[in-house]
This record gives sequence, structure tokens and C-alpha cells, in this order.
Amino acid sequence: MAVIEVTDLRKRYADLTVLDGVSFSVEEGEIFGILGPNGTGKTTTVESVEGLRRPDSGSIRVLGLDPFEDGPKVRELIGVQLQQTQLPENLKVWEALDLYASFYAKPHDWRELLEEWGLADKRNARFGKLSGGQKQRLFIALALVGNPRVAFLDELTTGLDPQARRATWELIKQVRASGVTVVLVSHFMDEVEELCDRVAVFNHGKVVAIDSPAGLVGGEHRMRFTLMAGDMVGLEGLPGVTGVSREGDRVVVSGRGDFATAVTAHLARHQVLVSDLRLDRRTLEDAFTALTGRSFG
Amino acid sequence: MMKLAIVETKLLTREPGALFSLLIPLFILVVFGSSIEPGDTVLLPMALAIAVGLVSLYLLPTTLATYRERGILRRLSTTPVRPGNLLMVQLLLQLVLAVTACGLLMAVAGTVLGAHLPSRVLSGVLVFLVGTASMFAIGLLIAALAPNGRAANGIGVLLYFPMAYLAGLIQPTHQMPAIVAAIGEYTPLGAFGRSMRDVWAGSAPSPLLLGVMAAYALVISIAAAKFFRWE
Repeated sequence: MAVIEVTDLRKRYADLTVLDGVSFSVEEGEIFGILGPNGTGKTTTVESVEGLRRPDSGSIRVLGLDPFEDGPKVRELIGVQLQQTQLPENLKVWEALDLYASFYAKPHDWRELLEEWGLADKRNARFGKLSGGQKQRLFIALALVGNPRVAFLDELTTGLDPQARRATWELIKQVRASGVTVVLVSHFMDEVEELCDRVAVFNHGKVVAIDSPAGLVGGEHRMRFTLMAGDMVGLEGLPGVTGVSREGDRVVVSGRGDFATAVTAHLARHQVLVSDLRLDRRTLEDAFTALTGRSFG
Repeated sequence: MMKLAIVETKLLTREPGALFSLLIPLFILVVFGSSIEPGDTVLLPMALAIAVGLVSLYLLPTTLATYRERGILRRLSTTPVRPGNLLMVQLLLQLVLAVTACGLLMAVAGTVLGAHLPSRVLSGVLVFLVGTASMFAIGLLIAALAPNGRAANGIGVLLYFPMAYLAGLIQPTHQMPAIVAAIGEYTPLGAFGRSMRDVWAGSAPSPLLLGVMAAYALVISIAAAKFFRWE
């Protein structure tokens, strides 16, 4: 079942087209990634779905409801972590959770969330005294305190150190495991590759591709080497090999799956000596560059 | 809504600025209070005007602009609670703070200093409400226009001193140039101070000045509502 359906969203600010016909749907129980460089309409799209920003045209359904017509109902069902929001410096962790729990009809027990998100020993700490990672965990807990069906997490790990990022990723997987659908806005390739079931790639206000991270990468890799001695024959027929090209003594073999083992075994059997052997794995970043024609800053 | 009010009250008590708004006018009252003559009708109204001025020009706009700057109002708009509720709670709380500050001043002045308290209680309450409304409107306008909490704080402080001067809180009105004193009487804080002194002197507050304050409250708060941005 589609939890979110977005059809042909458009939004202009003066001369600037921010959203140029964005469509996608999010299935129940998945982590759906929204990937793209800054300024490509990711946040505008998500804020439209959350009912914060009204698009010029297009339709949005969240659990079958319109976030602008049925705003109160939708807000009961979603949990949001916004990019760049803060809490009052002097608000204590438990007070924040207790307060936000009181906004919802059927809140989650915030004491449990304190435990789950590793904030139990910080319950009386003031927001201003928390570390970046602790603040981030509190924001996720606040996004979940209303028992949402869908959680929106925007630029979750920006500004966190690598260790804190990894820890946060594990927590996001827990959220999915608890049955909550997650929409994750990110401009980090590794994060999306690690977490997302499916990804919408944004570029210039459009969705240029929607697929699983593996599907986007395409699974094709390249093997490069320089011929030293012997002549190579019959590489094309090996299992997994999709193409062979040769320029002088430089050879590039492309293929899928375990083709590299087949190639090296074949070369050894025919006593072909090679040097500078390299295997290039295509990454999500390569896929992104190919899709959008721009590299990731 | 109730929980929001409780949490905001707790936050206000943790805010050093709130304590200052209570203590500064009290300090002025006590320092000058030792040298007043019995039956003085000037000092206490002055202290009340300082207290209301501090809350509305300093505390109110800084708090609201900071809430917007930190995205607290926007975060609230994604929950079933409307961010307007937070503004309402804040306005009520700041009003309570202003009432508390004034109550404290009157209690100290009435007991320790033996100052004169007016018999026209209703007139006093009316002047307080209309005057505070006009000052709060200015605070709201600052909150609406300031890009962030720091700027709101700066604008509030910058506005406070000329307004306090025009209201005769820095130099007694009879020592000011006549024209300045006359203009000052029609500024929000000036009208407030003047009406309070009238009440203290036992006469009815001028309907004209009450009208002036009500007009300020209305016009400026409409402007504030028009310019207010949630993010």
C-alpha cells in the first residue's frame, strides 16, 4: 500500500522554479530516500508533504489524506525532524518529550523512548548542554513520540562525526523494524546506500530516477589491466562478461557478478601475464553523476 | 495547552532576563524610595512604567524572535498543536510577569517604604491594562520585524531608552524642554506614566490619553500581525 503519493508537484518563487513536476510514491514499511545536492527541491518537496509549504499545483496524499485539507488528521499521523531546528536552551530532555507527547491523541510512552534512544541518563539535562549526537537522538525521539505511521527525517546526520553517524543509522533501521515508514532526506551517498530501500534522485526540481540503491548502481563493474606477455582470446565468452575493449596493450573488461574471478582464471590458464590490474566498482556516486551530469559537492 | 503553559512558565523562571525585569525596577524603587517624601505620587508610577517597559520591549520580543529563529514555531506547525497557541501562552505569561513585577513594587512600596497607594483601584487597573497592551503591541512588532533574537534584543534596548526618556523616566518631566515633555506625553510609555501619576494623585486618568494608548495598542498590533512570519 502506498503511504505517500505525490503527483506532479510544481512550485515557483519569482523567477526560480523549485519543483518542476515531482512525482513519487512511498510504500508502507520502507525507508524511502530523497537524494540530491542542496537546492534541488528535496526539502521543499518534503515540507509540502508535511503540509508546511503549499505547492502551486499537483496532488499530495498522505495515508489517503490531503495535508492541506485534512491538516489536523495528517499531523496526528506523521512525525517530523526538521533541518536546522532547535529547542529552547533551558528545556530539559524529559520536558521536551513530555510536552511533545501531550500534543498527540495517542502518544508513545516517552519514558520508553528515553531508554530506546539512549537518553535515560540525560533526562534532566538541558537541551543547550547536549552534544550534537544527543540532540539528534532527541529530535528523532520527538519525531516518534506521537506514534506516527510515517517519520520524516531531514538531513539527519549533517554535522555529526563518523561514529555518531553510524550509530544514528542503526537507530533508523530500528525505526523501520518497528513498522514506521521512514522518509529520509539526505545528500550523503553512503547514508542512502546503507539505509534506503528505494531512492528518488532529485535534480533541478525533478525526480530523475527512482530505484533501489543497487538498482541505481546497476551492478556493472569494470576490470582494467595492461598486457605484458601472451595474447588473450575468448574473454568475451566468459560467464558474466558483458564487454571487452582493447587499446594497444590496455584492456578494459566490463561485467556483472563474479566475472573478475572467471577472467583472472582464464588469463592464468592461457599463461597471459598482466600488470596494473584494477577492479572499479561503480558506486551510487557514479550512478548519480551519470543521471544528473553533475558531481556531488 | 495546559502542559505548554506549564513548560513555558518553567522556561521563563529559568530565564535570567525575567528576574532582571522584576529586580531592576525594584532596585530603582528602593534606592530612590529612601529619599521620597510621604505621599509621593511620582516614584511608584515611574517604577511601574519601567517594569512594564522592560517586559514588553526586552523580554517579550526577544523570546518570540528567538522562538522563530530556532525554528520552534515551525517545528510546532508539524504537530497537531498550532504554533499560535505558543504565542498566546507567551503573551499571557509575559502579562503575568508584568503584573507580578507591578504587584511586587506596590507591595514593597506600600509596606517597607510607606508609599502612597491610590484609592482609585479600578482606574489604576484600567490604565495598567491599556498601557501594557500598547507596550506589548510594540514588543510584538519588534518580534515581527527582527530577523533573530539578538536583533530583537538590540532593537528593544535601543527603543527602551528614548521611550523611557520621553516618558520622563530618566529625567523628571518638569526639567525637560516643554515641547519634548508635551510630545512625550503622547508616546505609549509617556501616556502610561502620566495616567498612572494622575491615578496616584487621586484624579481620573485622562480619557484622551487612554484613547491614545488604546489606539497604539490596536494599530501597532495589527501591523505586528501583518508583518509576523512564522519562519
